[in-house]
Amino acid sequence: MSETTVTPEQPITVEEREVKPGFVGTNVPRKEDERLVQGQGVFTDDVRRHGMGYVHFVRSPYAHARIVGIDVSKALELEGVYGTLTGDEVAIQTDPFFELSTPPGSEIKDYALAVGKARWMGEPVAAVVAATRELARDAAELVEVEYEPLPVLVDAERAQETDAPVLHEEAGSNVVWSGEFDWGDFDAALAEADRVIRIERLHFHRFSSTPLECSGCLVEYERATGQWTIFGNHQMPGVGAIWMAPALRVGLDKLRFVSHDIGGAFGNKITLHPYFVACCLLARKLRRPVQWTEWRTDQHMANTHGNERTFLDVEVPVRSDGTMLGFKVSAIDDCGAFPRYEPLGCIIWAQVTPGCYRWRNVRVDFTQVCTNKSPVAPNRGYSRMQHLWLTERLVDIVAHELELDPVEVRKRNYVRSDEMPYETPNGCVYDSGDYALCLDKALELIDYGSIAQRREEASARGKLLGVGIGSTLDSGTNNFGQSMIVNPELQFSGNNEVATVKLDIFGEIVVTLGTVPQGQGHETTASQVVADILGCTPDDVHVRPGHDSYWNSHAGFSGTYASQFAVTGIGAVKGATERLAGEMRQLAAAVLGCSPDDVELAEGQARMRENPEAALPFMALGAIINANNAGLPPDLDVTLNCRYVYRPPFEKPDVERKYGNLTLTYASQVHACVVEIDRETGVYEIVDYGAVDDCGNRIHPQIVEGQVHGATAHALGAATHEQFPYDEDGTLLTANFYDYHVPHALDMPPLKTDYVETPSPFTNYGAKGMGEGGGAGIHALCAAIQDALRPLGGPIVTESCNPPNHVWELIRDPEATRAGVTVESR
Amino acid sequence: MLLREVEYARPASIEDAVELLADNPNARPLAGGQTLINVMKARIASPEVLVDLNGLGELKTIELGSDGTLELGAMVTYAEAISSAECRARPILGEVAAQIADVQVRNRGTIGGNVCANDPTNHLPPLLVALGATMTIRGREGERAVPAEDFFLGVYMTAAGPGELLTTVTLPPADGAGDAFASVTIGRDGTGIVNVAASVNGDARVAVGCVAAVPVLVRPASTKGDAVRDAVRGAGLEPPSDVHASADYRRHLAEVLAARAVEQATGRKRS
Amino acid sequence: MEAVRSKTVSVEVNGELYEREVDARRLLVHFIRDDLELTGTHVGCDTGNCGACTVLYDGQAVKSCMLLAVQADGTKIETVEGLAQDGQLHPLQQAFSDHHALQCGYCTPGMLLSAKHLLDNNHEPTETEIRRAIQGNICRCTGYVNIVEAIAAVARGEVS
Repeated sequence: MSETTVTPEQPITVEEREVKPGFVGTNVPRKEDERLVQGQGVFTDDVRRHGMGYVHFVRSPYAHARIVGIDVSKALELEGVYGTLTGDEVAIQTDPFFELSTPPGSEIKDYALAVGKARWMGEPVAAVVAATRELARDAAELVEVEYEPLPVLVDAERAQETDAPVLHEEAGSNVVWSGEFDWGDFDAALAEADRVIRIERLHFHRFSSTPLECSGCLVEYERATGQWTIFGNHQMPGVGAIWMAPALRVGLDKLRFVSHDIGGAFGNKITLHPYFVACCLLARKLRRPVQWTEWRTDQHMANTHGNERTFLDVEVPVRSDGTMLGFKVSAIDDCGAFPRYEPLGCIIWAQVTPGCYRWRNVRVDFTQVCTNKSPVAPNRGYSRMQHLWLTERLVDIVAHELELDPVEVRKRNYVRSDEMPYETPNGCVYDSGDYALCLDKALELIDYGSIAQRREEASARGKLLGVGIGSTLDSGTNNFGQSMIVNPELQFSGNNEVATVKLDIFGEIVVTLGTVPQGQGHETTASQVVADILGCTPDDVHVRPGHDSYWNSHAGFSGTYASQFAVTGIGAVKGATERLAGEMRQLAAAVLGCSPDDVELAEGQARMRENPEAALPFMALGAIINANNAGLPPDLDVTLNCRYVYRPPFEKPDVERKYGNLTLTYASQVHACVVEIDRETGVYEIVDYGAVDDCGNRIHPQIVEGQVHGATAHALGAATHEQFPYDEDGTLLTANFYDYHVPHALDMPPLKTDYVETPSPFTNYGAKGMGEGGGAGIHALCAAIQDALRPLGGPIVTESCNPPNHVWELIRDPEATRAGVTVESR
Repeated sequence: MLLREVEYARPASIEDAVELLADNPNARPLAGGQTLINVMKARIASPEVLVDLNGLGELKTIELGSDGTLELGAMVTYAEAISSAECRARPILGEVAAQIADVQVRNRGTIGGNVCANDPTNHLPPLLVALGATMTIRGREGERAVPAEDFFLGVYMTAAGPGELLTTVTLPPADGAGDAFASVTIGRDGTGIVNVAASVNGDARVAVGCVAAVPVLVRPASTKGDAVRDAVRGAGLEPPSDVHASADYRRHLAEVLAARAVEQATGRKRS
Repeated sequence: MEAVRSKTVSVEVNGELYEREVDARRLLVHFIRDDLELTGTHVGCDTGNCGACTVLYDGQAVKSCMLLAVQADGTKIETVEGLAQDGQLHPLQQAFSDHHALQCGYCTPGMLLSAKHLLDNNHEPTETEIRRAIQGNICRCTGYVNIVEAIAAVARGEVS
């Protein structure tokens, strides 16, 4: 149970380079804005090609059914229809997608369209292409599919029962993956405990961040070369290509991914490969470009959801003073009909095993199962959010049961800032953070000192006031080696990102990124970094919008996901720019007849530090290398076109012990929420809200704060109304924005923010990735509701989503949830 | 997502509109489109002919009679009702209309459309039942008046049948009545989970929405909270259970909101 | 009077007159995006809830996904493409950028037009009035915080 500061054998250090303070750390105007505010953004559906056909997918109306036959003849007869695609063709023309899991999950056969069987309601079964969107929609209705319905499985807890329907016969089981994690000595912790709190069941629900722009692509196929160009909004094309190329039986380079502007993604545009492959096959078959834009209903039913996780038989040994000694839990993760990016979610939570706390003894029994629901994807907060919600619930329930102050319990158990870098029980290293300070600031934002008085005052108005805290971590920059823990056969580890920076013939600085921004302002922040290194302004730096694999500015893990741009993307930009700067100095030195160390880059020139009159403007440097290079020294190795691959310092984890550093940085957030509940109706209002964020040094504070706002809105939406529930037939009950209520402007509480900057010792600029947020709003609201209802029999909040109906149930029958919590004194 | 093929007409007179509707049993009037267009996108219903009423100025008038009777043309939009000086004679109308969805919907959505769609969660059906409004329906054979409490027949079904057009909604004089509307919605100004309209003048007319195919009119013995709750309980409501709320919750809300609406309406009464 | 399957419509968009033949079933938003190739107006849902398709229609903010193109015959429509004049951004566009009121930019065109509609009719909106004005415009990126601030800044005359 001792505290640990990390002293790894090979210390993680980052070389200091001289970077002049300048634009990094300031709020420069966003480059993206000019086109976006004028409606000149180029989103997938905005792109046109001559002769293109529009795709409409025919989807299964059954959650589980054998596909007996598909007849497309009537659809083909409709004038304006160009062609169709069915699962049979897909099974012949492609190989199943690469599965990440070990057996039995590895046996799952996943294709671009349903093959032989439909496994969730809305699964694409066939595709129709026509001259207009409307005709494609009409033709889809004429496709006749004969189904043989099968029993439906929508309960993850039932998935392992012997009489449960099995989704994938080849696997023979609904279990995608299972494993045990055991760190420290949980049995010793039990023995040492004064009390053991047991909780029967906690449930983290299914929802998603529903980006406003739906998925889509426009695919062209060039017969001469077999080259596909996919203009689409895939947010992780490096991995998309790894799935698609083998399936299509082509080399990776035959898939060119292009994107320009993307209207939000939040992890839901990572597993688009099935749809993209269908469109690739159609483009090749029909010899014309094909365009697909997902409908909102399709996105809810048949794109992706966040992981749904049920926590059972939780045990938390504690000392009477509230020191938490460890926890044990069985987790069942519901990944829907096909794993795809899963089972990575089965390990990714381990980046934050103890949450913000100094738990040293943790035992987790983790099982992931398939059900007849939409597949899941790394939705904002991916797998860590679910786990952090668990840890926050445990802290609040412990405090509740022991009648301790949740603020005090947190402070007693938080990892302390002087313990950073802190090694967790499973070998992850929290780089920096001051959770107690963030908590203090959050409490200040909501004027915590006045809570008692406000509680009384609210009570006089018939309202129950509650206050809740949500602490969370946003771990960023993955070590993909964690995938080896779920499957030792996998050959993925480390991480990377790429950037190129060149100085063109007229002195233009042009940057290409490997990332795929969806609103995070990468063009802007990249230009700040480049400007500071080259001694110019962000206006002098042109960053190409979007992503294009033809730029050769990408690698296997390229994309925008997992809260890492400030580390990986910026790391790549910095590396490429420093190379360029070095070359510029070398070239200038050769021309000016001095040493490169005598040359400085400032005000758009390369000049001698001691004699600024001896200067070459950037344009001159660019012109010399590109068009006027006679007479240069033969050994001058300068191209002024520099590419850099950022690689974080990771080791492969210890697969046996499931141990190792899984993420480079840990941003943190602490939120405080004040809620007033109408005791008669269960309707509640968030009357005060504070969010404190620490992502190390902030490259662009306004962008960071914007991410905090957005993550809070997503979390509060998920905590109050957003759910993807299924009925027993496997029908999704919230398949559009009418039923799936997201926060609108009037739904948002008064949101106050503050920040702390504890620089990361492991990164350039001391910045940490951030953006996902970690779902602190969910944790805080659950805590606030539980606190408010204490006087009414002390019901326990066991669900992550608490709409008014549910709050009323808690009020009506507090015993129902209390029954699942027991405290044993030892 | 996308409509089926449809035919479209934009008549210039009510007579022409009625003719078009009467000629084709699969013709439907297009009012604000805030419900119908979505229904057609989802292909839940696909009328063969859309008769666009937006050119009929006669259906957009608002008249306040000297006796306090308020006559609203069926094509008056929520926004128009909210900003109308005449409608201030019955402020509850604008107050409720202002809770419907958002600015864009209120700029197009109409009183008549809200009423004729008769989605069980709509705001105006229970309100008009509580206020004792009268609907004027015109068909080929002429005009007839139907009291609000007889106008709503079933989910999406009203007394204005095929070949007929709702032309006017008439509110009786307020006569000092106090009106109120209480609801629980999905998010602010969202879809109703339960809504209750109350009009109190001596006795109380309480109409509960979202709990049945049509608004349920309840006449409590007095305006006291217990009496109101008893009356609602006595109505034997069997509300639906769905993803947003259980039947039990809706039943409970109906009682609570009815009592609150009546209390608020009583406070607004002018004797 | 006959009902027709398609019609020629004449619509003024951002001051320019367009005449096109269009199917009765074509939604106004697809007419604007596909027929007129003004792709600044966006589609984000299929139930009229998100507001990404918001345009000004004879001066009123409406969701163009719930109007048929044939209904727009003879109307004056303003889309986001009409906001900037002679290369100068509209104060709302400038304010949105200054206040970081957009991230991915997908909701932004509709949001700008709802904001314009508000300020055309109300020069001193309260915060609640601003939120009501954009209640029909869903944003999944910003949490609305900076959007409200940007609109308030324009109302206060802080942006030229």
